[in-house]
Amino acid sequence: MSKKSCPAIIGAGRTKFGEHYEKEPEKLIEEAGLNALRSVGIERKDLEACYISDYFLPLTNKIGLEEGFLSELLELHIPMEIARSFSSAFVSACNAILAGKYNLVLVGGVEKMTDRWDKIRDDLMMLEDPWSYYAGGTPEANHELMLREYIKSYDIHGGDLEKLQLALAHISVKNHANALKNEYAQYRRSITVEQVLKARKAVKKMLGLYDFAPISDGAAAIILASSELAESYTDKPIYVLASGSATDYITFPFREDRAGFLATRLAMENAIKMAEIEKKNIRLLEVYDQSTVVELISLEDLGFVERGTAWKHLYENFQDFKGYYELNGQEIFVNLNGGLKADGNPLGATGGAQIYEIFKQLRGEAGERQVKIDDSCLGCALELEGFGTKAYVHIFGGDAA
Amino acid sequence: MSSEPIERRVAYIGDRLRGCRCPLCGKEYFNLRDYCGRCGEKSFGKMEEIDLFYEKGTLEVCTLITEPTNKFKKIGRFIYGIVSFHNGKIRLPGRLTDRIIGENDEIDFSSLEGREVVPRFRRRYAVKRSEIIPTISLTFTFADEYYPYQEYKIAKPNKDYDTPGIVGYGVYVSKFRIKEAFMERAVPFIDEDAITAAVEAGKLALIHSSVDHKLIGKIYVGSESNPYAVKPIASKVAQVLKLGEDAAEGVQGVDAVDTEFACKAATSMFKDAVSLVYYPKSNVEYAMVIGADNSQAAPRGEPGGELDFFVGYGACTFIFGMKDVIAEIEGWYSVTSDTPDFWRRDREPYPRHGGRFTGDPAYFKHIKKAAKKLMDEFRLQPQDIDYFVSHQPNINFPTKVAKSLGFREEQFLPSLKVAKFGNTYSGASPIGLAAVLDKAEPHQRILLVSYGSGAGSDAYLFTTTSQIKDKRQKQKFTVEYQAENPFLEYVDYATYRKLKRGLEA
Repeated sequence: MSKKSCPAIIGAGRTKFGEHYEKEPEKLIEEAGLNALRSVGIERKDLEACYISDYFLPLTNKIGLEEGFLSELLELHIPMEIARSFSSAFVSACNAILAGKYNLVLVGGVEKMTDRWDKIRDDLMMLEDPWSYYAGGTPEANHELMLREYIKSYDIHGGDLEKLQLALAHISVKNHANALKNEYAQYRRSITVEQVLKARKAVKKMLGLYDFAPISDGAAAIILASSELAESYTDKPIYVLASGSATDYITFPFREDRAGFLATRLAMENAIKMAEIEKKNIRLLEVYDQSTVVELISLEDLGFVERGTAWKHLYENFQDFKGYYELNGQEIFVNLNGGLKADGNPLGATGGAQIYEIFKQLRGEAGERQVKIDDSCLGCALELEGFGTKAYVHIFGGDAA
Repeated sequence: MSSEPIERRVAYIGDRLRGCRCPLCGKEYFNLRDYCGRCGEKSFGKMEEIDLFYEKGTLEVCTLITEPTNKFKKIGRFIYGIVSFHNGKIRLPGRLTDRIIGENDEIDFSSLEGREVVPRFRRRYAVKRSEIIPTISLTFTFADEYYPYQEYKIAKPNKDYDTPGIVGYGVYVSKFRIKEAFMERAVPFIDEDAITAAVEAGKLALIHSSVDHKLIGKIYVGSESNPYAVKPIASKVAQVLKLGEDAAEGVQGVDAVDTEFACKAATSMFKDAVSLVYYPKSNVEYAMVIGADNSQAAPRGEPGGELDFFVGYGACTFIFGMKDVIAEIEGWYSVTSDTPDFWRRDREPYPRHGGRFTGDPAYFKHIKKAAKKLMDEFRLQPQDIDYFVSHQPNINFPTKVAKSLGFREEQFLPSLKVAKFGNTYSGASPIGLAAVLDKAEPHQRILLVSYGSGAGSDAYLFTTTSQIKDKRQKQKFTVEYQAENPFLEYVDYATYRKLKRGLEA
């Protein structure tokens, strides 16, 4: 697709992720939305439509008609649609712009998980994989089983197994280090490999507290415009070069391949096909690290390394970590915002924070976190719903890309 | 979850592990579907129903659940993983049950992965006492441990009998025990109750009898510890074991009913079962009777707490019919009186015990009366009877009553299992009978006398047939096997009370 016809991101905003005890969900998304509008100097009255996502506000907060709350707060009567993930809302918004229906829309995502602290793990698991829930599964268990499948599939044992476990620990340490520079991150403190290993030892399992993303509240928003309109608002639009998505079985044990996510592989294939770009130009990557295992395996599913080898690549990378992964000669910055692990994971907003990060980095506006990349670099975001039940891959680039 | 439609659908599939197979490409699915995803329209309406209820699977991968979801918290730590069947054609999530895992226990997952497992029918998770009790068979135990894998092979009967009798039986006792003084008693695992024991015992009886489950026309379940005040155990047994013909739309063509008369709730129905299969117009070829109890007792020191030294857990099932009979029922005699020796009022958790009524005016009077009446009717002396089986609430009573009736140790000791399993209430004298049938030679006479508080006794006279030995090889899970098993796990008093309380939120 020619860049001139791609939808463009012209503004982005978000809230801090973490616990927002005093704030209603609609206040969170209002805050993120206003930040996004302010970032590009747009009045809310200029918006033509809103695409909003939340994974399960009706369940956690007994809020069903999210649009009504927003209409009331923003005093807007424009069309609004609800989706389950930020990426899903984002794709719908892109499609509407591509179809010529709108020229300026807001995509927002929000989640308020801490309001249902005591029941959240039951809800998450029940929605993610009901039969596994009925059999006793937990949100963490599927990650642990996927790791067992991975170890068995590639016959990783002895010293190699230790390297794999260390590589996973370093992923968490790296993400926490990245989050130190992210003023919006849920956890802005560094951790050590020893802490990660100790937490695993405490539960006598291969994954511990520091291997998993937390429960979070938060919101994120971006402003999307048609390419013609984008140039009138900013001289640094970031184009959505491609979006691919795919779907997999809800029940994890039923899937043929359980050492990775088929949906991620298919979504990436679709996105690459659509973008007509070189994968090697991707320098910025935000992956959906619900666990350290998913960050590791996503690098394989996205095709940056051979399947079954990511642990080896990462182990070597972490011997002398430079801030990016060097994978087959390609230098990739992964989860610069701290990832889901440290930035936080308010489901409906998480994808928004990923896109926010890539938007800021590609425009050179990431402040303390800004990494050195040239104008031709591409950014890529992978968002998942459930345990790899849905995968969305978006590829972004600036004018020179 | 208290949504009745959701509960019905989950249990319908999950209790039996129902699935289907595409006859065109062989692909197998968990759950029922109208077509094969691979073959599409041409497979529509052709899918074959299968289930994994009697199958053996393999634990593929597993992990330890240290922080369960809320509903599983009562179970504590457990192993959870993926189980495959039919060489990987079907994979299911599953929990390993019957394992108490301490906080300091190290689990080597690779030593568990690859081992064979068999499904167990258990409670799914904890719910409030007011809610529908969720059950599931996505719970497994290793096939080389306490519960062996056993094939259920339906066989065409060889021989017709003039007198109806027992065609098969099954005894189900949990693998946990508490050992105090002279007695060992069976303790349910936390996910077990009278319902789960009834289903497991029914399954074992079908395996032993080789009877086609579709030919069971009536199911009776006797229990005094049904966790429901209203809702039969028998309907769950009928649904899970697919008793009676498949009447479509998830309905079984079978009559199911629960009975209650303290410890004789099951034996009372033996005569109804044989009469039913004998009556030519009943259209009931086989009838199943189950006695199942998670025998309840108040904690020691509280009123009714004396029972806490004796209560056990288990179930026993008999299938009655007129083909391939292993023990014919020659006759019976029942007695009843309104003797309030033991009772439990509605909404009371534990039964009470009427001290001085318990012995002579209750247990002894009724058992002796029923036994003597039946022996007189058949003009039998104690020496004419090979085995004597009575209700066994403790070791003393059955010994004393047998001796007072003139029976010698070799006649009554083979049936005396209370010191191994505890008092299994409705299952107690039936398990005694099963222990005898496990050993008896053809053409031997057995006198069974049950006792139910409240009060009454049923006396039955059985004569074994030549087929008793043929069928024996079909059951590995015998009374002896369950009494003396290297995989038994002994628990302390506090654990026993906790396990017995079960999955109540």
